[in-house]
Amino acid sequence: MDGFDMMDSGTDGPIVTIRKADSMHADFVLSNVDLSFANSIRRIILAEVPTLAIDLVEVIANSSVLPDELLSHRLGLIPLESSNIDDKLLYTRDCDCDGYCDRCSVVLTLVAKCTGDQNVTVYARDLAVAAGAQLGNPVLTDEAGKGSIICKLRKGQELNLKCIAKKGIAKEHAKWQPCAAVAFEYDPHNKLKHVDYWYETDAKAEWPKSANAGWEEPAQENEPFDYNAVPNKFYIDVETVGSLQPDEVLRQGIKYLQEKLATVIAGVNKSAGQGAATNTGGDVNGMDDGYGGARSPDMNDANGYRNFNDGYVTPYGGAGGGAGAQTPFGGYGGGGYSNGWP
Amino acid sequence: MPSTKKSVVARSSAGKAVFDTINREKRFRNPPTDKTAFPALQDAIKPHVDSWNAVFKDGGCLHQAIQEIGEKTVFDRLDGNAETGYGNKLTIRIANYYLGKSMLSSRDKSAMKREIYPAECRERHTSYRGQLQLELHYKVNNGEWQKEYRDCGLLPLMVMGNRCHLENMSPKSLVDHKEESEELGGYFIVSGNEKLVRMLIVNRRNYAMAVVRSSYAKRGPTYTNMGVQMRSVRPDQSCMTNVIHYLTDGNITFRFSWRKREYLVPVMMILKALVDTNDREIFEGIVGLDQREDTFLTDRLELLLRTYKAYTLYSRHETLAYLGDKFRIVMQVSPDVSDVEVGKLFLRKIVLVNLTDDGDKFRQLLFMIKKLYSLVAGTCAADNVDAAQHQEVLLGGFLYGQILKEKIEEYLLNIRSQVRSDLMGGVKAEFNSPQYMRKMLGKVNERIGESLHYFLSTGNLSSPSGLDLQQTTGFTVVAEKLNFYRYISHFRMVHRGSFFAQLKTTTVRKLLPESWGFLCPVHTPDGSPCGLLNHLAHKCQIATITSDCSNIPPLVLTLGVHSAKVLPVPADATLSVQLDGKIIGWCSPKDARRVADSLRFYKVEGTHAVPRDLEIGYVPISNGGQYPGVYLFSQEARMIRPVKYIPLDKEDFVGPFEQPFLNIAVTEPEIQNGDSHVEFDPTNILSIVANMTPFSDFNQSPRNMYQCQMGKQTMGTPGTAIRHRTDNKMYRIQTGQSPIVRAPLYNTYGLDNFPNGMNAVVAVIAYTGYDMDDAMIINKSAHERGFGYGTVYKTEKYDLAEKSKSKSPVLAFGWGWAPIGADHNTLAKYKAMKDKYNSTLDDMDGLPMVGQRVVEGDPVAVYHNMGTGETFFFKYKGSEGAFIDEVRLLGNDVGDSICQAISVKFRITRSPLIGDKFSSRHGQKGVCSQKWPAIDMPFSESGMQPDVIINPHAFPSRMTIGMFVESMAGKAGALHGFAQDCTPFKFNEENTAVEYFGHQLKEAGYNYYGNEPMYSGITGQEFHADIYLGVVYYQRLRHMVNDKYQVRSTGPVDSRTRQPVKGRKRMGGLRIGEMERDSLLAHGTAFLVQDRLLNCSDYHQTWVCRGCGSFLATTPTVNGGEKRAEVRCRRCAVKASEFDVGKKGYWEDGLGNRFLGGNDTTIVVIPYVLKYLDVELLAMGIQMKYDVSP
Repeated sequence: MDGFDMMDSGTDGPIVTIRKADSMHADFVLSNVDLSFANSIRRIILAEVPTLAIDLVEVIANSSVLPDELLSHRLGLIPLESSNIDDKLLYTRDCDCDGYCDRCSVVLTLVAKCTGDQNVTVYARDLAVAAGAQLGNPVLTDEAGKGSIICKLRKGQELNLKCIAKKGIAKEHAKWQPCAAVAFEYDPHNKLKHVDYWYETDAKAEWPKSANAGWEEPAQENEPFDYNAVPNKFYIDVETVGSLQPDEVLRQGIKYLQEKLATVIAGVNKSAGQGAATNTGGDVNGMDDGYGGARSPDMNDANGYRNFNDGYVTPYGGAGGGAGAQTPFGGYGGGGYSNGWP
Repeated sequence: MPSTKKSVVARSSAGKAVFDTINREKRFRNPPTDKTAFPALQDAIKPHVDSWNAVFKDGGCLHQAIQEIGEKTVFDRLDGNAETGYGNKLTIRIANYYLGKSMLSSRDKSAMKREIYPAECRERHTSYRGQLQLELHYKVNNGEWQKEYRDCGLLPLMVMGNRCHLENMSPKSLVDHKEESEELGGYFIVSGNEKLVRMLIVNRRNYAMAVVRSSYAKRGPTYTNMGVQMRSVRPDQSCMTNVIHYLTDGNITFRFSWRKREYLVPVMMILKALVDTNDREIFEGIVGLDQREDTFLTDRLELLLRTYKAYTLYSRHETLAYLGDKFRIVMQVSPDVSDVEVGKLFLRKIVLVNLTDDGDKFRQLLFMIKKLYSLVAGTCAADNVDAAQHQEVLLGGFLYGQILKEKIEEYLLNIRSQVRSDLMGGVKAEFNSPQYMRKMLGKVNERIGESLHYFLSTGNLSSPSGLDLQQTTGFTVVAEKLNFYRYISHFRMVHRGSFFAQLKTTTVRKLLPESWGFLCPVHTPDGSPCGLLNHLAHKCQIATITSDCSNIPPLVLTLGVHSAKVLPVPADATLSVQLDGKIIGWCSPKDARRVADSLRFYKVEGTHAVPRDLEIGYVPISNGGQYPGVYLFSQEARMIRPVKYIPLDKEDFVGPFEQPFLNIAVTEPEIQNGDSHVEFDPTNILSIVANMTPFSDFNQSPRNMYQCQMGKQTMGTPGTAIRHRTDNKMYRIQTGQSPIVRAPLYNTYGLDNFPNGMNAVVAVIAYTGYDMDDAMIINKSAHERGFGYGTVYKTEKYDLAEKSKSKSPVLAFGWGWAPIGADHNTLAKYKAMKDKYNSTLDDMDGLPMVGQRVVEGDPVAVYHNMGTGETFFFKYKGSEGAFIDEVRLLGNDVGDSICQAISVKFRITRSPLIGDKFSSRHGQKGVCSQKWPAIDMPFSESGMQPDVIINPHAFPSRMTIGMFVESMAGKAGALHGFAQDCTPFKFNEENTAVEYFGHQLKEAGYNYYGNEPMYSGITGQEFHADIYLGVVYYQRLRHMVNDKYQVRSTGPVDSRTRQPVKGRKRMGGLRIGEMERDSLLAHGTAFLVQDRLLNCSDYHQTWVCRGCGSFLATTPTVNGGEKRAEVRCRRCAVKASEFDVGKKGYWEDGLGNRFLGGNDTTIVVIPYVLKYLDVELLAMGIQMKYDVSP
């Protein structure tokens, strides 16, 4: 509640100071927010922003030294271009097709054969995306533009694979992870005394200053300890694997965070409205919704997911503030967030 | 204490531990075409290969053995030749042997390339063998020698030995022949398995050892526990142990065993038989000039000489004849040989066989007597047979050669007995007729190769003499390629002998200081083989040839030694100088030291023709210590190791006999006045595997032992030629890495070719509670990216020949056809079957498809009867799903039959599961308890999440500080991008590891001591304490839940007791034993006790008679019973007649016997075994009676 107090008491919501940004990194300072909020952002961009990754591999021919399952595993971990995936692709479980189709998957083919005496190295760039697909190109960040090595072939060996890439989230498998790591720090001078630095002789000598230390004033000599202080300035460095741009990762992350919150709100609304008689049923639905934010293709709990759709559209769309206000908890969050965010 | 010592600088040595990735990659792509890149590895297995080569080289041990076997004779007892009275004499001998390389049988006419390479034998599950041929010579009476070449079967060959195609091949051509580029050899291939003869500790050869052993007193009345024992070894490496026993009356007897029987002979008789001598000479040979006043000695000697008078044997001739007469039968000597000759044979074959000259034997025997009296008098101590000082190593090749020698001798004896049985059977044995000889030889068992094959495949020794060994089983082991550490350890392991495993005393297992530098103090398993199964220190070598010592006797004479042959020796020359058990002279104690020192100087210098591996054991005079003297050893089977000889600053090889009397400094700074040697490196005392434990000097020592065990159980990389191997079970880690923290020896031994684990980011924190009690948490994302991903390969051979009894093939792979004229149903059945298995076996050849996944019960291959067309399947038996990885079609040896066998390699994926076992390299093992989602894992400020979380409680009691240091070193190495040297003993108090690595960490912007502030992944809150976070090399162990889990609700029961069977394989249960029951009782959970012990076990309802209390007397009624009680008690019932029919209580049993009454029966619940017990007791005439109430 402290965080909200602060928001109410003057400052105008979160402040983002971007320190450095390029195609792989977004280094910024997020201030004037609650710890739980900052951590939620971190968690969501690590685990719940959907990307595209190879999920099924149909092996037509594999005479390489790598067994099928190992090759498939390697293919899965290749980052694929997945910007705006929500506009372009459905989760397979939401799609009407059996198995997979163009609306819920991207097909990549890998055909390679070594005919000469020199060994052939198969790179990620050799993955060919089906014509017309809007996304799914392998991410090639190295200078030569080859991408990661998939396999090596000697004379006579060949690969002929049909790879079906699907939308999914890192909660299910790390291959859908858009971020490699998210650096996250607050209170570089340990003014809040959250951590009790262990030292052998001299804490100052043994503990190097964090790179973020320059962004905050160190504690003054004899400065009294503020018991009420809470962290509110977070140094975050998002490093992506290339499938999404860092800004998109963040934007998507915020979107999914809102969706999740909205789901909670909707769930609470529903159970509160249903009254004691149908309480059990309401709870079940609420729970389904609660973790139904985004899921990977294999968790086929269709009911929960459909409910979720109903749940989130209302508060998140234009009517967000209104819907939020109608909830029993309306006063605090829904309005605040939907106002605060563009 | 101010230390001016220059600190051992780790920084400078850190350069040696390099990744060397580029070179490895280059080597891997283009294996060297000249020589191996890792000579250290070759050296590691050298004892095995070299001992084989020493046996089978030209003029090697086997040639000498054949000479030693000599001639055998047999008489035809025909009257034709009356010269001897035994008839014609047939003399047979083996003149030579030929051992070929592994080649195709001559019956195969078609093949162009006829060599059989080891890889083919592995893949075909056959043995790697070469043809053994013996050149048999025979002559009749004194005629010409006739030659006959006999094929004696296929003899298993040692890979890389001098009969192997691969010998001296470059890594490039090894790879071309489907081997590892660093194939080492040293083993045999037996039925596709790699078997090696394990090295065995035996007593040091040719050294008279003073022994006190309680079993000696049991040899007979008046025997004491004291003796002097000498294990004499012939040049062909066969041996004979002679013991002289001290008797309470002062007498001495000579003991030996011949063909597993023990014989005792008065030692005087041997002495008198050896040379023409007299009592005075014997007296003076034993009592030195300085000991004339020693009445203890002279009294006993007098008695020794006097008691022998009873035999009234005075001359050598008489004595020999007496011995010959007594031992003629025992030694199976030809009847035409005189007793004196038999006596001489006795001396040659039994007494001190390492010496050839009878005078030398005489002198050595006198020395042994001298030593025995000294032991009795207490002026010398008993030698410790358990100390490495008095031990040597029996090498595989030599043992193999000895067995072969014995089999060849047995072959000659078999010929003799064949002739005898021909004669007994009335066959006319015409020695001069080639037809008879050929026919007779054809009847003799010539399969010597097979018996050696049997030896290798079972490890059992079937020998008439026992080869002077204390065990008959367990000589061979399979060289498992579980990972490379385990594999290489097999070739470095030395076993003390399975005889000692049963010994209750633990003295044999003790780690004695004498082993320093020869046997690794760390690398021994815990548990039952602890201390018995040791491993050689990595620099320890074993001599496999006798060095040329022809110059030693003249040399020592120039150094002031008095020749042993020139009598009398001066009064002060009290110490003997012996070379391999031969007394070459006597010298004074003062001179002895000089002799030893000079010899060593010459030896290291390389002058005066003193061989470099001569062992110069100078035992100084002491007060009741080891018997003094100068003992030189130059022969095979000795352990030797390199140390630096300080006077010349050159390499010297020392052996375990001399080492206790040398002053060897451990490090250069520790050299003190009087030290003659210094170790090249303190890590030389450790085995190869023990050297791979990083910072092992920081750890509590048992932890290093555990790591040696676990390193060998790791799921690693068994090899690079996995494609060409068909091991029954093989483990492989797919995502192995090169350790950041490594000793330079890691590169020396080329272990980077066989990665054994992964560098894991490890946080030491009690985080979720799932890391309690040695559990560890794995980051789910790390797991999904391949952390610890492993594969198990299993190979199964499917042999049609085993399915059919006839010799010619009747079965063939492929789908059969429905029998001609089959009815509609049969045809439909065939069609259905084909449809069903179409997915797995969709082509006609009936062979499995590579890449196909199979589960239990799936058909792997189809075969059919070629006559009837009936189709059968081989089914997959494993309980977990597997992929078919490779399929091999195996032809027969000659290649003249249709395919009758296939070998299928299955690939089972083993992604890490909860319950799988991991360990660091510090004996810190743990079981994976959770795969924790990455977002919930704690993270550092840079966003780093640990791959592995372990609990801090794993450290205080175990004190594996090495793991902390590794963690820091690994972190610093990862941050700076270099490999870290973790050789033990590099740091010291002045220059600590923490400072060194702390500095590196600080340079990289991290906390000096490796701690980092971390945040909870769940709340994002910074932890109150900073967390020790670093990089540790983790191993995945082969113990996995998938091989271990056991579950049962209902299942098979034992037919006798009706209780659940035991064993995971049989779907059995886990026993609630007495102690488990006790604890349930203590908890008061009576219901649970009943549930476990009765309801879920052998619950049984039975009828019991309330009247007589018997189960067994109850019997079902057949007729006439009331509806209510169908079971009556026959015991309580009375016989009824036909008039009782219809009366109340009338019934009949199954035989129609009529009864009345006995209807007071009821049903009770009992454990079924109770009934079984009742029956068993009944069989003994004991009746059990049960009170049933109410």
